[in-house]
Amino acid sequence: MKTRFLKALALTTALATITVPALPQTTTPPPQTFGTTIYLDYSFWATKEGPITSNALNNKFAFRRAYFTYENKISADLKFRFRFDAENARVLTSTTGSTNEQLKPFMKHLYLDWAGLLPNSSLKIGMTETLAFKVAEDRWGYRSVAKTLVDGYKDVTGADIRTSSADIGINLTGAISKELRYGAMVMNGEGYSRPELNKYKKFGGFLQFVPLPGLNVWGYAEYEKVADGQNAKMYKVDVYFDMIPGLNVTGEWFTYDSDAKFNKVANADGTTSNAHFNIGGFSIFATYKITPDKLHVFARYDGYQPDSTNGAKEVSLVIAGVDWTPFHPSWKIQPNVWFYSYKDSAKKNDVIVNITAFLSF
Amino acid sequence: MLYERFKKWIVAAELAMALVFTPILIGQGKKMIQIKGSDTMINLVQILAEEYMGKNPKATPIAVLGGGSGTGITALINGTTDIANHSRDLSPKETNQMWERGVKPRVFAIAVDGLSIIVNEKNPLNQLTMDQVGAIYRGDVKNWQAVGGPAQPISLYGRQSNSGTYAFLQEHVLKNKNYSPDVKEMNGNAQIIEGVAADAAAIGYAGVGYVVDKATGKPMKGLKILNIAKDAKAQGYSPTDKAAVDSGNYPISRALFQSTNGKPGADAAAFLQFILGPEGQKIVEREGFYPIGAKYIEANTKNLK
Repeated sequence: MKTRFLKALALTTALATITVPALPQTTTPPPQTFGTTIYLDYSFWATKEGPITSNALNNKFAFRRAYFTYENKISADLKFRFRFDAENARVLTSTTGSTNEQLKPFMKHLYLDWAGLLPNSSLKIGMTETLAFKVAEDRWGYRSVAKTLVDGYKDVTGADIRTSSADIGINLTGAISKELRYGAMVMNGEGYSRPELNKYKKFGGFLQFVPLPGLNVWGYAEYEKVADGQNAKMYKVDVYFDMIPGLNVTGEWFTYDSDAKFNKVANADGTTSNAHFNIGGFSIFATYKITPDKLHVFARYDGYQPDSTNGAKEVSLVIAGVDWTPFHPSWKIQPNVWFYSYKDSAKKNDVIVNITAFLSF
Repeated sequence: MLYERFKKWIVAAELAMALVFTPILIGQGKKMIQIKGSDTMINLVQILAEEYMGKNPKATPIAVLGGGSGTGITALINGTTDIANHSRDLSPKETNQMWERGVKPRVFAIAVDGLSIIVNEKNPLNQLTMDQVGAIYRGDVKNWQAVGGPAQPISLYGRQSNSGTYAFLQEHVLKNKNYSPDVKEMNGNAQIIEGVAADAAAIGYAGVGYVVDKATGKPMKGLKILNIAKDAKAQGYSPTDKAAVDSGNYPISRALFQSTNGKPGADAAAFLQFILGPEGQKIVEREGFYPIGAKYIEANTKNLK
């Protein structure tokens, strides 16, 4: 009890020593922005023989995602963001036609972003972006087409690696020098869609080395106690190559190891035992700007290994497409093709052609 | 079975290659020099582009957009512009981002601006010191009477935070302190001038190229351009005094820059050479700004090589 009290006292003292900037008393409204971003797909299943193609239809129109974002720049160092998100994660795979599968709005971001704690830093408090794939998402730049490897892992394989693009917590990122950046976050670990039900918190942090202009090596580690006696760890390494103007090439690799992930294996004596497995994957993608603000192309290869003890579960995904801005940056047309290939010989390939409209106002 | 599976991948690969390579081929033939950034520079660079295109009808077309210095620099980092216009130096954060994204900036000073402090023509004041301007924009001084003017609350006009002029004034005049929250944040120089001309208690700031009527050489209708002194003991100078700007006696002069990622390509280099040459610099002067001096010419020449 005494230790807990001392810890609480130390934390309170530490927080009290941080000089929080006084909010300005404004007579005119501070700079505020409202924005909407929408992803609209027309999808056509060129082949429908694998599990992803279990949908009864072979083509459909769908709003896959809609964001509404409000930002308020309170002062030079202090910013507030609120974002509503409406998504239908099952829009590609739904078979029931249930009204429960309509776009559902939920809160995605609600945070204060303070740039005054350390030089070249950003401290976010609230429901904020997580760190595990934020940099990779920025480099890929086509969330309108597909999430990056780790973010979209569950959608492709069904394997839950307990990762989310946003979570409630405190997140500090910054640059020590032009060659070295850092980031750390403590969060609930339940993402934006699940309530926190235990006392354990998730910790994540990265270091990013930029030894040469445009060459980035990014290493990330994450730890979470998921239940008593059960820990989960994720390690991720990315390499970003931006050394040729207009061209980005990125490689991502990760492994997720959780004590909660095991298969029941039958023993010869009739008993069962737990066979622990890891989850992993890698992704290589390239984007190229042919004409700035007008025409870009992108291509990506993902390898998913959702069960280290069962190679038959492996999935490969190839995505290729074009990003065309015909008239105005608020309206982009992004035709893209997805090819799924399954290691399991019982499943055939899937080929999906999407015409994606990226709208932002 | 195996053949069928293989065949589908061939078709899929062909489709993917068609998606990726067709636009590459189409895109090769349609070039344009994209320029984005500073609103202070947009009119000047637009006119320079028009004159350049007029003299070189076969040259690559040039598109000039505003949005503020910050927007232009971000576009250069993201590879969505060929040239960024900016009316302030690159910040350390931007320099870091450029390093991370492999952008090797080459910075060209193309003109010099006397950043002008303007009031309504009815205001009897003729001069302020740097400290007084800073105190007014920080909100420390709220009434004209405190700086020798009429007993009237000061009405502040300024730019948004993505503006290079906003950042320049904050660094050099406000001494990196925050602006008063009472500043009315306008979209551009023209809006500030409109606001100040219509408001007897107003103070604003804008590039010298915006505040002087090019036909008469006098301040725009409704405006008075204040002399600015380095301190209370120093003499005040006007931003319209070329010699004072050149010598540094006018204390809030600055260079206006264009930046490229690495050595500019042949098309962009040709346009930059035009701007930096005698014809371009004559246009700079005609539009109310000042030509670059010797200290910038050497750096510009080096950056073009």
